Amino acid sequence: MNAQQTRISVERATKRFSAGGLTVFDGLDLAVRDKEALCILGPSGCGKTTLLRTMHGLIPLDGGRILIDDAVVSAPRRNVAMVFQHFGLMPWKRVRENVAYGLELAGLPKATTDERVERYIEMVGLRGFERSYPSQLSGGMQQRAGLARALALEPDILLMDEPFGSLDALTREILQDELLRIYQLMPRTMVFITHSIEEAIAMGDRILVLSARPARVRELLQVDIPRPRTVDSVIAHPRFLPLRDHCWRLLREPAA
Amino acid sequence: MTFDQARVKLEESRPMTAHPSRWRRLRPGDWAVRLGAIALILGVWEFFGPTLNKLILRPPSDIFRAFFELVANGELAEAMSQSFRELFGGLAVALVVGLVLGIASGRWRFVYNAIDPLVSALYSVPAVALIPLLPVAFHSIGDPPRIAAVALFAVFPILINTQQGVRNVDRQLLEVARSFNTSERRLWTDVIIPSATPYLLAGVRLAIGRGLIGMIVAEFFIGLVGLGYLIISYENVFRIDRMFVPVIVVATVGVLMMGFVQWLEGRIAPWLKKEQ
Repeated sequence: MNAQQTRISVERATKRFSAGGLTVFDGLDLAVRDKEALCILGPSGCGKTTLLRTMHGLIPLDGGRILIDDAVVSAPRRNVAMVFQHFGLMPWKRVRENVAYGLELAGLPKATTDERVERYIEMVGLRGFERSYPSQLSGGMQQRAGLARALALEPDILLMDEPFGSLDALTREILQDELLRIYQLMPRTMVFITHSIEEAIAMGDRILVLSARPARVRELLQVDIPRPRTVDSVIAHPRFLPLRDHCWRLLREPAA
Repeated sequence: MTFDQARVKLEESRPMTAHPSRWRRLRPGDWAVRLGAIALILGVWEFFGPTLNKLILRPPSDIFRAFFELVANGELAEAMSQSFRELFGGLAVALVVGLVLGIASGRWRFVYNAIDPLVSALYSVPAVALIPLLPVAFHSIGDPPRIAAVALFAVFPILINTQQGVRNVDRQLLEVARSFNTSERRLWTDVIIPSATPYLLAGVRLAIGRGLIGMIVAEFFIGLVGLGYLIISYENVFRIDRMFVPVIVVATVGVLMMGFVQWLEGRIAPWLKKEQ
C-alpha cells in the first residue's frame, strides 16, 4: 500500500447531542493516511472522544459520513481495535482472558489465540501477571493489558482514546515509551486522542489541532521528528519546543 | 477497587478509589470477638436469666439437654426433614422465579414496567397476611402451599437484587464489548451475568433469612407441621427448654446457609475476593 493512501476519511461529519441541542462538531473533514500516527489534540470537552467513537461506529453521526477503506462505517469492524481511557477490562476476567477477549470473539482458532495472547502479553511487559485480576494491578499495568488486548487482534487501525489520560505522570511516560517501541515494531494506522501537547508531539506523525466546541480543525501540523523515538529523544529534539509553542498558541487563542 | 501494591514493582501504582474491602475476609481476631460475644450472652443468660423468670428464661444448659432429648426421641429429625423439604423447595422456586423475572425486568423495559408496580406492592404487603390464602389457592394443606409461602417470602430479594445487578452493568464495559464485536450471547456470558452475580448472591443471602421465617410462619398457619409444630406444641405446654430447640436450629441453619453462600461467592466470583 502506498504510504500516502487514505485509510480513514471523515467527510463533513456532524454530531449533535439531544436533538437541536449541543453541537459537538459540525462539518468536520479529515483524512488519516495508511500507517501514520495521527494525534488529535484539543481542549477538554471539545468532542475528541466523540469523534473517535463515531470513527469506530460505536455511535452514529448526525450528518456527513466516515469511511474506512472506502466503506462507510456503521458498526465496529474486525480490523479496527480501540484502547480506552478507562481501560475497559472485565473485572471478572484474568489478564490472560482479557487479552484473549477480542480474539475469542473474532472466532480465531485456539492455538492462534494462545500464541498471540502469550506474544502480546510479553510485548507489553505483563509476563508473570497472566493470572492476575485487573483489580490486583496498578493503573499502568491495567492499561498494558488494555493495549495487549487491542494489539492481539493485529488490527489495521488502532484507535487510542486518551489511553494514558488517567495515569500518573511517571507511569504515563513509561507507557508512552512502550507504545513508541511497539509502534516501531509494528507500524500501523493509529488515531491517538490526547489533550497533552507533549504526548501529541511524541506519538504523532501529524497533529490535528481542534478548537473548543463546536470542534473545528484549527490546523494540521507535521511532526518532523524522526523515528525511532523515545519521549526523551523527542523532548531533546530542536523541533520540539517550536512545535509545542505553536500548539499552545493554537489551543489558547480563540479561533479567528 | 484497589490495587495490590505489594506485587507492583514495575511502576508507580496509584489507587483509583479509596475503597478497601476490609470487611470481606474475616481475620482471626474477628472470630475471637464473634465467639466471645456469643459466649458472653449465653453466660449472662445462663446465670441471670432464671432469676428474672424461672419459667420462660430457661438456662442454655437446659436447652442443650432438651436438644439431646429431641434428637434421641426422633422428633427433631422428623421435624427437620419436613421443614427442610419446604425450605429447599421454596428457595428453589424463589431462585428460578427471581432469576428469570429479575433478569428479564433488568434487561427489558417492557417487563420492568409490567411487573414493577406488582413487585413493589407485594414486597410491601406483610407476606404473613397472605399465607392463609395459600391453602385455598392450592386446595391443599400439604407441602405445596407451604413451599409457596417460603417462595413468597424469599423471591423478592432475589428478584430485586438480580434486576438491579442487570441494570447496573457498567455502560463502559457494554461499549467495550460492542467495540470488540460481541454477540448477544457473549454479551450475557462475558458482561451482564458476571456483573450481576454479586448482586444475585447478596439477594440469595437475604432470601435465606426471609425463607426461614416464611417456613415457620407457614407451618404455624398451614397444617401445623415441622419445626413450627415443635415450637407451638412445646410452647403450649410450657416446655420452654424444648421450644427453644427448633428456634436455635432455625437460627443455626440460617447462619450455616448464609455462610455457605458467602463461600460460594468466593468460588464463583473470585475477582471480588482478590480486590484487596
